[in-house]
Amino acid sequence: MLITLGGLGTILAVSLVCVFLLWVVVPLFLPSSLVPLSGASAGGGAPGQVVHAGADEYLRIGWVATADGSLTAYRLDTGEQLSRTALSHDGRPPSAMSFALRDGHVALAFGNLVQLGSIDFQTTFVEAAELPAELRELPVGEIATFGQGILERTAEGQFRLQQLRVELPEPAALKSDSEVALIDVSVSSKGTVFAALTRDGQLHLAQVTQRKNLLTGEVTNRLRSGSVQVELPAAGVPSYLKLAGLGDAVFLAWEDGLLQRFDTRNATRPELVEQVDLVETPEDKLTALAFLIGKTTLVSGDSAGRLRAWFRIKPDEAPTADGALLVAGHELPSMAGPVAFLGASSRSRMVAAASDAGQVRLFHVTSEHEVAERQAPDAAGAMHALTIAPKDDALLALAGDRLLLWSIDAPHPQTTWASILRPVWYEGYNAPEHVWQSSSGTDDFEEKYGLVPLVFGTLKATFYSMLFGAPLALLAAIYTSEFLHPRAKARVKPTIEIMASLPSVVLGFLAALFFAPLVENIVPQCLALFVTIPFAYLLGAHLWQLLPGPMAAYLGRFRILGMVVALPAGVGLAWLIGRPVERWLFAGDIKAWLDGQIGNGIGAWMFVLLPLSCLAVTWLITSFVTPGMRRYAGTWPRLQFALLDLGKLLAGCLLAAGLAYGLGATLDGLGWDPRGTYVGTYVQRNALVVGFIMGFAVIPIIYTISDDALSAVPESLRAGSLGAGATPWQTAIRVVIPTAMSGLFSAMMVGLGRAVGETMIVLMAAGNTPVLDWNIFNGFRTLSANIAVELPEAVIDSTHYRMLFLAALSLFVMTFFVNTIAEVVRLRFRKRAFQL
Amino acid sequence: MTTSNQELSTQPAAAPASSGPAAGRHASSVNARRDGRLEKIAAGEFVPAEIHDSLRSEQAVLEIEKFNLWYGAKQALFDIQMIIPRGKVTALIGPSGCGKSTLLRCVNRMNDLIDSVRVAGQMRLNGDSIFASGVDVIELRKRMGMVFQKPNPFPMSIFENVVYPLRIDGERNRNVLEEVCERSLRGAALWNEVKDRLQESGLSLSGGQQQRLCIARAIASDPEVLLLDEPCSALDPLATGKIEDLIQELRGEYSILIVTHNMQQASRVSDYTAFMYLGHLVEYGDTPELFTNPRLKETEDYLTGRFG
Ligand SMILES: Nc1ncnc2c1ncn2[C@@H]1O[C@H](COP(=O)(O)OP(=O)(O)OP(=O)(O)O)[C@@H](O)[C@H]1O
Ligand SMILES: [Mg+2]
Repeated sequence: MLITLGGLGTILAVSLVCVFLLWVVVPLFLPSSLVPLSGASAGGGAPGQVVHAGADEYLRIGWVATADGSLTAYRLDTGEQLSRTALSHDGRPPSAMSFALRDGHVALAFGNLVQLGSIDFQTTFVEAAELPAELRELPVGEIATFGQGILERTAEGQFRLQQLRVELPEPAALKSDSEVALIDVSVSSKGTVFAALTRDGQLHLAQVTQRKNLLTGEVTNRLRSGSVQVELPAAGVPSYLKLAGLGDAVFLAWEDGLLQRFDTRNATRPELVEQVDLVETPEDKLTALAFLIGKTTLVSGDSAGRLRAWFRIKPDEAPTADGALLVAGHELPSMAGPVAFLGASSRSRMVAAASDAGQVRLFHVTSEHEVAERQAPDAAGAMHALTIAPKDDALLALAGDRLLLWSIDAPHPQTTWASILRPVWYEGYNAPEHVWQSSSGTDDFEEKYGLVPLVFGTLKATFYSMLFGAPLALLAAIYTSEFLHPRAKARVKPTIEIMASLPSVVLGFLAALFFAPLVENIVPQCLALFVTIPFAYLLGAHLWQLLPGPMAAYLGRFRILGMVVALPAGVGLAWLIGRPVERWLFAGDIKAWLDGQIGNGIGAWMFVLLPLSCLAVTWLITSFVTPGMRRYAGTWPRLQFALLDLGKLLAGCLLAAGLAYGLGATLDGLGWDPRGTYVGTYVQRNALVVGFIMGFAVIPIIYTISDDALSAVPESLRAGSLGAGATPWQTAIRVVIPTAMSGLFSAMMVGLGRAVGETMIVLMAAGNTPVLDWNIFNGFRTLSANIAVELPEAVIDSTHYRMLFLAALSLFVMTFFVNTIAEVVRLRFRKRAFQL
Repeated sequence: MTTSNQELSTQPAAAPASSGPAAGRHASSVNARRDGRLEKIAAGEFVPAEIHDSLRSEQAVLEIEKFNLWYGAKQALFDIQMIIPRGKVTALIGPSGCGKSTLLRCVNRMNDLIDSVRVAGQMRLNGDSIFASGVDVIELRKRMGMVFQKPNPFPMSIFENVVYPLRIDGERNRNVLEEVCERSLRGAALWNEVKDRLQESGLSLSGGQQQRLCIARAIASDPEVLLLDEPCSALDPLATGKIEDLIQELRGEYSILIVTHNMQQASRVSDYTAFMYLGHLVEYGDTPELFTNPRLKETEDYLTGRFG
């Protein structure tokens, strides 16, 4: 009864954990929506040709700049016109305008005059005394129009006034007489850059860099400017001029889809480096072009409704002068009609697109996924502008004389199954890749949530620790249960089990601070260990046979001491041959060799071929040589036979080494060099170190369960086999192990489960680089370590937070899967054991 | 084992002994009856075994000479001196714990596996010493077949079970294996029952079939001696009958040493019977004579179920 309750309780608890994980994760994949908030008529009628529109972060005020140079601010909920400013100089409207996505930077041009200023929102608090009587009683949370702004009574009872602020200093003249047709400005931490194209085809560039003298605190401005003559095609002046965020590139685009890219890293000498066609067919026209946040990716919309995102990559062999290539990294789902407007988000990689017909769609560019769609009401009339509010929480569109405001309900626009599990082409990457990168120093950084590197890291940790731990644990279990004296076993088993009680944080600590730095300096010796230790044991066993029979029988009980001696002998041997091996296989410097700088691939092949050829040679010897030897030399005196056996061992070792070397040389000769795959550049905290230390965690578990499984094999089977004339080894291999197979399997599975979920060791010793690399000498980041590292800094309910829960869920599923298999097999095993 | 059963089985055998058709022998056995051997044995004295003359004419496949065995400090076998005749069935009987299994296991040196065991004395299989220092135990065991009290088929197919002794010798020739399998299964009277399911698991057979499978396995390598340790004790009467028939059939072809608690069985299947008591061989002779006319009162008492 109690047991049933306990069991049910456990199941309930596990299910609750699972439900909780799901509860947090599911919102990542819930559909997003656009919900109409308001649609007031703009006071003063429909604006003219809109150049840019914006809204404040509280969604109180919207503003519109039109081609005739008027800047109008509206109260969004009523449509009331708050202010109207003329952007003009000497009564002239601007000949070119550009508005930055955020920070309010604007660039205006009047003829050959350039004016760099800002348009942003100013928040001030107003004393009640300054307010008219009817506003003083404004209830908390309510808003009212006050002067040119909007007054809001905050929760604290203060009066907050929000109004549009326009700052336009005196314009400066370009070194040109021609009128500026297009202009753009970029402000970065390095300074301000602007680019202007005059009607005569001159592209002017000016860069103001600010340098602060650290000693005097004095700020010096340095102006660098230059220009280049653009060969204007028949179409004349381009429709768009776009200056990249760092000022390092200028893009000119014409309506027919032609795009010219200028390298402006050197502002004094802009240079045309690439021409690209942004549209597919000659009939299509480029109808919209906008930068995403960061001003690196351009989104183009054409008359066929196609939407594509372009950014520069740096392939190995680019045909351009600057080595970069503009590629259409993303193709978004098409619009039904020509793309009329694009509005990029100022905080994420979302972009909104509207067609003439009033179809409004919101996309996330990197994940190429449509976040939401909405149709502007027919009554509204033709669209004029589209913009995403500063907090990504609303979409503002102008249709007819209406100010349409939709709230964006898309907390996790970038997460789709595809973006989590498939390679994603991030800006600046040369190709689609699996990337996990949740934070960075810069503002316009895009969080990259590809789970694959973490799952991969988990599998890598599991693979290498099992590769190391599983054979050792299994062989140890076989040895102690089948060959070791029960009295010795009674000591050995608890000792190994004590290993399991070592806290993994201590192991991780040891691995990271002691073991990893140690191994780093003696890599060849450590690799040699894998060969010399087994060899030392085999050699020891063969030397033992050389002892005269009675002496061997007498010393039999001390055999385990011999094994204790073989270990240091193997280590010593490794120490001796480490350097020569390094010279022989790894060109004398294994780290440089691993980098692929020197030497050939034979050594790398040896990593896999040597174990394989050892297995092959063992098989060859046991199935052909040994029976033959028994037949012909079975009657020889003991010593002679033992010498023959020793000869066999040495010949076998030489054969295995030769075979591996020969095959490796052949494969290397064929041009296959495995460096860069399973072996590669050495990193101090790597899978080899983790595999070794994790062995301490998995070996005791696998060992104990395997030993139990082997001991559960009925003694009668062993007796039957031995009675039939089988050696203990044959008995173990042919009868005991197959009988205990499922138990051994479930031991492996439980060990696997432990390795999958292990956190502290990998956290401390694996370097935590989320790379997709099988290289045993490189680090990795596992799901569990990632959760441990990042969860403390993840904001609750953010995408990052939920992604970490998804990682936890994946881990849960993986361990659950492994343990279920183990359990199913164990049950089968129990049934079979019951039959015996 | 129930006493009533034993009495039932041994009464008719004991009856002629008391009627005494052979006076001389009867007299000697009467003499022998009086010397209270069991008490002496229990007191730790050595008493030489009573061995019938009929054995002298037999050719030995196995000779046991002055064989002693200790489990640690405790002696379990005392100066056993006997021969196992070739081509005959020899039964070992005696009360529980008297050392029958111990003796049997010494023959193929299965006792080596027990750590505390120490032996003195000699055993010879067809003239080759079993306990001499240079003997290859593995090779030695291959010359014998052993069947245990509880059927112990390996968890593999019937076919693989039977050819196991050949497999461990590295035999790969499919024809040889198949031929041996069929011959052994026929020899173990199992062929007709399993010939269509050779690839099924040996564990899928019934208990009696499993035991015959083990016998098939034991005879697959053509052993010089077949050692059976209470092969029927885990089986029902029907299966027991089959095994007994099988032993009858194997007689002549193989030399068989069988340990049994079932007197009826011993009398039915064996040519010779050895009675052991507390590690001593007490009386050893041909079965009909031992059962009908034991020389020792102790043997008769045991056969009639008065102790043990
Ligand atoms: N492994 C062992 N270690 C110590 N003593 C043992 C061991 N095996 C048997 N003995 C002892 O040796 C004596 C003979 O045992 P054995 O099993 O040979 O008797 P048995 O005649 O076969 O009895 P049963 O008819 O019950 O099978 C017994 O006293 C037993 O306790
Ligand atoms: Mg017994």
